[in-house]
Amino acid sequence: MDNTIVVSTPPHVKSKKTTRSIMLDVIIALAPSAIAGIVFFGLLALMIELVAIVSCVATEFVYFFIANKGFSNKCRDAGKVCVRWWKQFDFTSVVTGLILALILPATAQWYEVLIGSIFSIAVVKMLFGGTGKNLVNPASAGRVFMFLSFAITTYTACLIPALNFTSGVFTGPTNLSWLLSSDGNPVTKISVLDLFLGTGVAGCIGETCAAAILLGYVYLCIRNVIKWWQPLLFIAVFGLAAVFMSGFSYIQTGGYIFNIELFLPHVLSGGVLFGAVFMFTDYVTSPKGVYGQLVYYIVAALLVAVLRYFTKLEVTSFVIMLMNLIVPLIDKYTIRKPFGYIKKKTQKEDK
Amino acid sequence: MKAVKGKYYFGGVHPKGAKDLSKSAPIEVMPAPETVYVSISQSLGKPAVPCVSAGQTVKEGEVIAKADGAISSDVFASVAGTVEKIEETVTSDGKETYIVIKASEGEKFRYPALENPSAEEIKERIRDCGIVGLGGAGFPTAVKVAPKTPVDTLIVNGAECEPYLTCDHRLMVEKTDEIARGARLIAKALGVANIVIGIEANKPDAIKAFEPYDDIKVVILKKQYPMGGEKQLIYVTTGRRVGLGKLPADYGVVVQNVGTCFAVCEAVEQGKPLYERVLTVSGKAVKEPKNLLVRVGTKIEDIINFCGGEAVNPKKAVLGGPMTGVALAGYDAYTHKTTSGVLLLDKKEAAADEPTPCLNCGKCADVCPMHLMPMNTAFYSAAGDFEEAAKQGNVAYCIECGACEYICPAKRPLIQAIRKTKAELRKNGGK
Repeated sequence: MDNTIVVSTPPHVKSKKTTRSIMLDVIIALAPSAIAGIVFFGLLALMIELVAIVSCVATEFVYFFIANKGFSNKCRDAGKVCVRWWKQFDFTSVVTGLILALILPATAQWYEVLIGSIFSIAVVKMLFGGTGKNLVNPASAGRVFMFLSFAITTYTACLIPALNFTSGVFTGPTNLSWLLSSDGNPVTKISVLDLFLGTGVAGCIGETCAAAILLGYVYLCIRNVIKWWQPLLFIAVFGLAAVFMSGFSYIQTGGYIFNIELFLPHVLSGGVLFGAVFMFTDYVTSPKGVYGQLVYYIVAALLVAVLRYFTKLEVTSFVIMLMNLIVPLIDKYTIRKPFGYIKKKTQKEDK
Repeated sequence: MKAVKGKYYFGGVHPKGAKDLSKSAPIEVMPAPETVYVSISQSLGKPAVPCVSAGQTVKEGEVIAKADGAISSDVFASVAGTVEKIEETVTSDGKETYIVIKASEGEKFRYPALENPSAEEIKERIRDCGIVGLGGAGFPTAVKVAPKTPVDTLIVNGAECEPYLTCDHRLMVEKTDEIARGARLIAKALGVANIVIGIEANKPDAIKAFEPYDDIKVVILKKQYPMGGEKQLIYVTTGRRVGLGKLPADYGVVVQNVGTCFAVCEAVEQGKPLYERVLTVSGKAVKEPKNLLVRVGTKIEDIINFCGGEAVNPKKAVLGGPMTGVALAGYDAYTHKTTSGVLLLDKKEAAADEPTPCLNCGKCADVCPMHLMPMNTAFYSAAGDFEEAAKQGNVAYCIECGACEYICPAKRPLIQAIRKTKAELRKNGGK
């Protein structure tokens, strides 16, 4: 009998999944989108991804280093602080950096990406208490910050596809802008297949290739990181609402038309699909209970559809931030009823 | 009867069974130890009152402590010998009063065997033999077989959803007929005709063993932890939802563990009081995992030595199952009527990761079989607001199965937070 025996409350066996392993799973799920981005937008995309990841991790490290007094005592504890940082490092900042890069257009400048990353990690995440404590999704907040500061938007950004699937250099507004403007039928402009594969479509680095996003979605579902119905619910509600809203744009010409053919173009354009799979499902900033999640995804989908129609802008990041902020409220009113809960009325009858 | 598939309930986890270690080891009888330490609190409710004094000679199976009040049970000498002392001792299992008996040659005490007993006779015998629920909680069976409301179904719990434990499994395979007879006796005492046995799908041999019995309905349960929780078991086998704060009997159901059925059979047919039970010794840190018939009050150290001792240095020694059992600080504890297992877990098995910040992922709420929100409890109790912790997490209904903490990727000590909240509320006069 030696003294290595440990006493604790049960359970004495635990699942092998840790925060680190979950974040690594998310990184693997993001990989197809990241690679597709590099294929379509070339080294520009690779540069943005690297800058975002490195600056996010570096920001977190520097913040941790300063907060843990790495500089005090003439940096004597620097080594120890570094070891502690590595021990608690859970790859969340890598995920933040990668997501931030993937929702930026390839035309973003490196210094813009750098500043956005620093804002995401230092202000949005670390100032609120680090992993698990941030109120809003750091990546979407970073993107909104960049949008407001540098006028980066997929609406006006013109992109240079690295591989030309269409004839000539494709530098036009994104498919989304066609879809949202009311001149004619957008389905004819770009085929659904092109939208699905992301070939010849302008947009953000990770958002153009729906196929890659779906690959990531399947992986996340298999690894049980996200619940499979969450993105599906969001997409279904959003698609129907978007089709419903775009029906109004025909009113001046020929009355209201509910054109279900627009479902796929709406879903596949812009950042909705990417947001549904990777950003709305962020653990930290989404509701904890099942009822809360239902409310969250439905309201978010409706908001995106309505705001997109009226603003004619890519609003997913804004809606993510907005919904993140009301999550505590949703959580408060959606506490699950315990198994075998008896309604108050019947309780009285029993007495 | 042909086995049917059980329902599914929302929640639950799927821990690694690890039952292969001891699944095929037949039940062995462990020789009586030289000295036994029999605790006087062997069941839920009040501890029994010792009715022997130091120096007295006792037979094996003789009553040494009398039940005190309605919810309590008699305690019996598990060996024949002399009572050495009655003392309050602190062991690794906590502080309890033990009756210490030094074993010597002696006769066995048995009640007269009953043939074709009436319901009243069975109930009386169950009380006399001090039978308690052997699943783990140790609720006196005598109370359970005398429900205040009419019941129509007896559910025999053969789920054994806890990883590692195989004692119920071995019992079901080796003592099928005794369990069936015991279940019939309990059914007779209750006056019910329906007997349902729920067995998890990972025990096909046990399912097969019970299929030939025409009066017993076999329900194959999904492998899901905690399947053997009373409310969950009732729901998956009969579809009835037991309301919060209600007893299963209010919904016409009584649940009994297979081990209890076996004990009832022995008590009625042989007049044998409950002073020994089958338990599983397992874990990768024990040399020869075994299923043992062990007398109550046997020292854990003796049990481990009987199983060949430690294979490697254990990280944790657990009394009971790995999900709900008590971690021991040493081997100086003694078995109770309710001890279903002794586990020595090695470094790999016993998780000891440092907790990291809560991710808010909600996995704990997803797996909670009672549909509670453990993360809320943990959050508020960490802040010291226990009232809110209880309210937001519905702590009062927690069955402490440990599923939430098992699944938590941040390795938060959720059960600890829940227990702390419960204790604080009790201290402040709450429920």
